[in-house]
Amino acid sequence: MRWILFIGALIGSSICGQEKFFGDQVFRINVRNGDEISKLSQLVNSNNLKLNFWKSPSSFNRPVDVLVPSVSLQAFKSFLRSQGLEYAVTIKDLQIYHEMDNIAADFPDLARRVKIGHSFENRPMYVLKFSTGKGARRPAVWLNAGIHSREWISQATAIWTARKIVSDYQRDPAITSILEKMDIFLLPVANPDGYVYTQTQNRLWRKTRSRNPGSSCIGADPNRNWNASFAGKGASDNPCSEVYHGPHANSEVEVKSVVDFIQKHGNFKCFIDLHSYSQLLMYPYGYSVKKAPDAEELDKVARLAAKALASVSGTEYQVGPTCTTVYPASGSSIDWAYDNGIKFAFTFELRDTGTYGFLLPANQIIPTAEETWLGLKTIMEHVRDNFY
Amino acid sequence: SASYRVPAPAPVFLPWGPMAAPQALASSPPHTKTNSFFIFRVQLKYSVSVFQINPKEGCKVHVVFSTERYNPEEREGRLGKCSARVFFKNQKPRPTINVTCTRLIEKKKRQQEDYLLYKQMKQLKNPLEIVSIPDNHGHIDPSLRPIWDLAFLGSSYVMWEMTTQVSHYYLAQLTSVRQWKTNDDTIDFDYTVLLHELSTQEIIPCRIHLVWYPGKPLKVKYHCQELQTPEEASGTEEGSAVVPTELSNF
Repeated sequence: MRWILFIGALIGSSICGQEKFFGDQVFRINVRNGDEISKLSQLVNSNNLKLNFWKSPSSFNRPVDVLVPSVSLQAFKSFLRSQGLEYAVTIKDLQIYHEMDNIAADFPDLARRVKIGHSFENRPMYVLKFSTGKGARRPAVWLNAGIHSREWISQATAIWTARKIVSDYQRDPAITSILEKMDIFLLPVANPDGYVYTQTQNRLWRKTRSRNPGSSCIGADPNRNWNASFAGKGASDNPCSEVYHGPHANSEVEVKSVVDFIQKHGNFKCFIDLHSYSQLLMYPYGYSVKKAPDAEELDKVARLAAKALASVSGTEYQVGPTCTTVYPASGSSIDWAYDNGIKFAFTFELRDTGTYGFLLPANQIIPTAEETWLGLKTIMEHVRDNFY
Repeated sequence: SASYRVPAPAPVFLPWGPMAAPQALASSPPHTKTNSFFIFRVQLKYSVSVFQINPKEGCKVHVVFSTERYNPEEREGRLGKCSARVFFKNQKPRPTINVTCTRLIEKKKRQQEDYLLYKQMKQLKNPLEIVSIPDNHGHIDPSLRPIWDLAFLGSSYVMWEMTTQVSHYYLAQLTSVRQWKTNDDTIDFDYTVLLHELSTQEIIPCRIHLVWYPGKPLKVKYHCQELQTPEEASGTEEGSAVVPTELSNF
């Protein structure tokens, strides 16, 4: 996982003690009987090796997932071998979650890691909430990333941005004043099952990993599953399609978790969704060529943001409404957000324009995140100054 | 940045936005009447004028763009300004493309580049133990670069064959490569690519068989899993598209 490790090394370089979590692994253990489960539980509960059940033991025919810190790897492997237990090491998808946890631990007055739900395969959905104020439901910004799992620059940019927010608060006037007026919620991995799948099985997987009854094809496109002209143009009713909209709106639990959270909160002013690739900054609508009522203002803000972004390394973005800038797309996140009263709704398609596409080299992560940050700040500053 | 001039009298929009024409160009075969090539990449700086002749007939696009060397490590500056007319016949693949460029790289230099690539390919050790190019983290080993370059070129023929007003392709990854020994010194290899189609977001595996010798036309045979029917294409109507001499499906 050079990609993640590279980010981790750079993000973590200013904080000590990072090394230990970047070796953590999840062991998936095939337990065959109650005796094996109880032996394992004993070891975990003893806390000798600082183990944790990632997925608790439930019944004999389901594997048990145990989180093993890197310092305990050898000892734990020996234990498993001595007990004759079969195991497999699953991928380190926890690095982003650990980093989120560390950010919250390092900046407890500013950042909190909040669980908003779970994925189809029961992985937690974590957001980072950045807030300087007391009181529930301050005006808020939602930053969404990784909804399409193969777009790795999206999750990477998000976690870099999280670290940037906490590092720059009270140093950079812009983010400081933004946070004075608004909360920021950041969801770096909106599709955790897909993300793990891209790391273990298929680098180019896009959708969720939900089962489709009656079909051998897996998953729905989580960005066609929102309740905004659901099942309209630019989505498919074929479960095997990359843009399959799902059986009904919000059928994907990953989408529902976000919808429920945002609706319950009720005071979001801005929703930004990070994707790749194409270098585009778009606003509603995707489901129709009709002009959004606020199109002029959104266009103006987007152009300012694209200009700010370009000022860093000269990366050029095109700006426009989704439908005519890229293609029709119904059931998309930003269309839902906009039609539900969140005026400042934007999609970023990050680097590049097709040379590497989804496989953006690691040395472009930080330059991409840095330039995107200026674009995000421009939008958030406008939101800050234009509450409605 | 892109600017779009729409001619009077009636405003017209290109259904898939400004991406359509440059993508067709980027994936089209090299437009030289000589049989050598160098790979160029369309810069994002372009201007597009759209003329819609007749909605039933298709869409003509005029694109002005500048080019740069495909390999970013070889910084030789811009190659020149180009002007192209792209004609998409409704939903039909193989758009007609007429391109003129100022100041292309001179013939001698092109031939030198071709021979350099040829030698690099011939020097590769067989069997090639390739998993993916680029790897899942976007890395291409410099020693594998010539393979990638040639594969990209072959893929661009395939992509152009399939490109329509609504279907635009990118090369996502090369997933297998096999080079064959030949009696006549040609470069001969089989490879599998994953193409990414933009409007459907599908990943399309294609097997491509490519034969090349510098100065001779590229021979490409291919089979893509999601095969488009080789219907009447835009290019054959206009008569001025540069069509590779040997292009066929398995």
